[in-house]
Amino acid sequence: MTVKYVDLDVRPALRAGEEPFEQITAAVATLPAGQGLRLFATFKPVPLLHVLGSKGFSHELKELEDGEWEVLFTPEATTEAATEADVVATPAEGVWPDSALTLDNRDLDPPEPMVRILAALEKMHEGEVLSALLCREPVFLMPELAKRGHQWQGAFEGDGATYRILVRVGSSREAAA
Amino acid sequence: MVGASLSRWSMSYFAVALLALIVAEGLMTAGFGFPVAPIHAPETLALVHLIAIGWLSLLMLGALFQFVPVLVARPLYSDWLPLPTLALLLAGLTALLAGFLQLAGVISVPHSCFPAASILLGAGFSLALWNLGRTLWAARPLPVPARFVTVGLAGIAATALLGIIFALTLGGVISNPALLAIASQGVPVHAIAGLGGWLTFTAMGVSYRLLAMFMLAPELDGTSTRAAFCLGTAALTLLILGGVGAIWMDGNLDFVLIAAATLGLACAALYWKDMIHLYRARKRRVIELNSRMAGFALASLASAVVLTLILALLGVLPRHGGAIAFITAFGWLSGLALAMLYKIIAFMTWLECYGPVLGKRPTPRVQDLVTERVAFPWFLVYFIAVWSGTVALLCDQATLFRVCAGAMLLATVGLCIQFVRTRFLDNVPVPARFPEGVRRPRLLLSLTQPR
Repeated sequence: MTVKYVDLDVRPALRAGEEPFEQITAAVATLPAGQGLRLFATFKPVPLLHVLGSKGFSHELKELEDGEWEVLFTPEATTEAATEADVVATPAEGVWPDSALTLDNRDLDPPEPMVRILAALEKMHEGEVLSALLCREPVFLMPELAKRGHQWQGAFEGDGATYRILVRVGSSREAAA
Repeated sequence: MVGASLSRWSMSYFAVALLALIVAEGLMTAGFGFPVAPIHAPETLALVHLIAIGWLSLLMLGALFQFVPVLVARPLYSDWLPLPTLALLLAGLTALLAGFLQLAGVISVPHSCFPAASILLGAGFSLALWNLGRTLWAARPLPVPARFVTVGLAGIAATALLGIIFALTLGGVISNPALLAIASQGVPVHAIAGLGGWLTFTAMGVSYRLLAMFMLAPELDGTSTRAAFCLGTAALTLLILGGVGAIWMDGNLDFVLIAAATLGLACAALYWKDMIHLYRARKRRVIELNSRMAGFALASLASAVVLTLILALLGVLPRHGGAIAFITAFGWLSGLALAMLYKIIAFMTWLECYGPVLGKRPTPRVQDLVTERVAFPWFLVYFIAVWSGTVALLCDQATLFRVCAGAMLLATVGLCIQFVRTRFLDNVPVPARFPEGVRRPRLLLSLTQPR
């Protein structure tokens, strides 16, 4: 089967200092079944490879001139990817509301960023979104969010130093907790 | 799945490793092996492998099963394989030590234990490599610290392979001339690949991430870090391929060792520069005991490098190889390991016990699980004893060395008591220790707490 690719060029947005993460997740969410994404970026989007990898996309990297990159994200027809995506609640389906709460946890000692995010989520209502800035990928927070029934999406911003995570409070929170 | 969870068996690896360290220090205090016995004596080889496999390699594997997933933000390939891996490695180590003790005439067994040791250790290290390798492979492209770990894993593969050739030769199984040549001349390649390639290179990779994390310093991914990686990889490749090539083609092995050592020293210098940068660029002004003690370990690495250069210039390096190996194994690698364990045990225990109830009930901080004021003197005794022990070896003072080993033993036991107290939450004030839904963790096993 030949995979068709939808092109998305986030280079202008990156050059303008904007954060294209939501643009990318929106594009992925609206991809018809079986279609892939051809992404153009001004840097090698390593974290995105992991994020889309967890959603069942394999990737192929091609370096362009001036350090720019073209990445082909191809949907994998394996059941393994689907199972993994089910384990971690990371779907980008539907429209997420604007964040009800924003935390800047970049200057906190680990594991304080995780503690504050989990504490804040306990006080929020189902469907509300929390946005948090971190100075690294919150690897121990991710499984805990999944266990508590929350959905999340996250990626490094263009500077490669700030990680932004969006968490939508899940309906199964009480049951999971 | 994205993210990392608790490694179930790492605590067992840490416990067994610490036990091996205590036994090794006890043997050194009792005058078993070098410097009382010659450096190539079977007793010394037994001691060296108890330290290299029993203590350092098991500790490193236990740490990697937890931290490779952190480095690549993906779960470990298999969470249950570490247990049979540990069983195989322990059985293999026991057989290996028995083999050396047979050679020394300490024990008498009708059959050589070396072939069994080869099979068991080969299987154990293969399982560990398979598990960690699959985890890393799934996470490509790898961040720089994970690349250090990958090359370190290639180092253990080469070290183990050479070790198996030696053991099969000692066990009388091998008669192939090419392999016999390796067995008779390849010991320096085996030792340097293990201490430098596997243990040091992996420790470098893990410390790049851990120290940045604990001190709130920026992640390093610049020219000097990449150059350190390339130089170290080149050193290891040259050492192993060049070393084996020189042995087979009757070339000059010393020349290969000097060339590889030069690249390795340049790698260590760049790594040292990066670490100084991490300490200076940190956002956290007051750093915790583990980061301060890691500084002592880094100072030991620098001392080992400088000492190597000085002894080489004086032309007495071969005579003092034991002292260099001692400060590398105990000052740098063991010092870093003990410093990091102090934090890792506290963090893993905290996450296991309080992670599920975070935000729902008041919980202690990670720092509440440790008492730095009590642990600091033990660390100080440990490092002073290691540095004094190195001087004792340089001055051929065997009795003074045994006194230093005794002090190291005392300090290690003191630190182990702190580790156990941390694991059992004994340092946490009683009212805060067990919020609803939290129970006392097991010593050797990390389990998800009931929710």
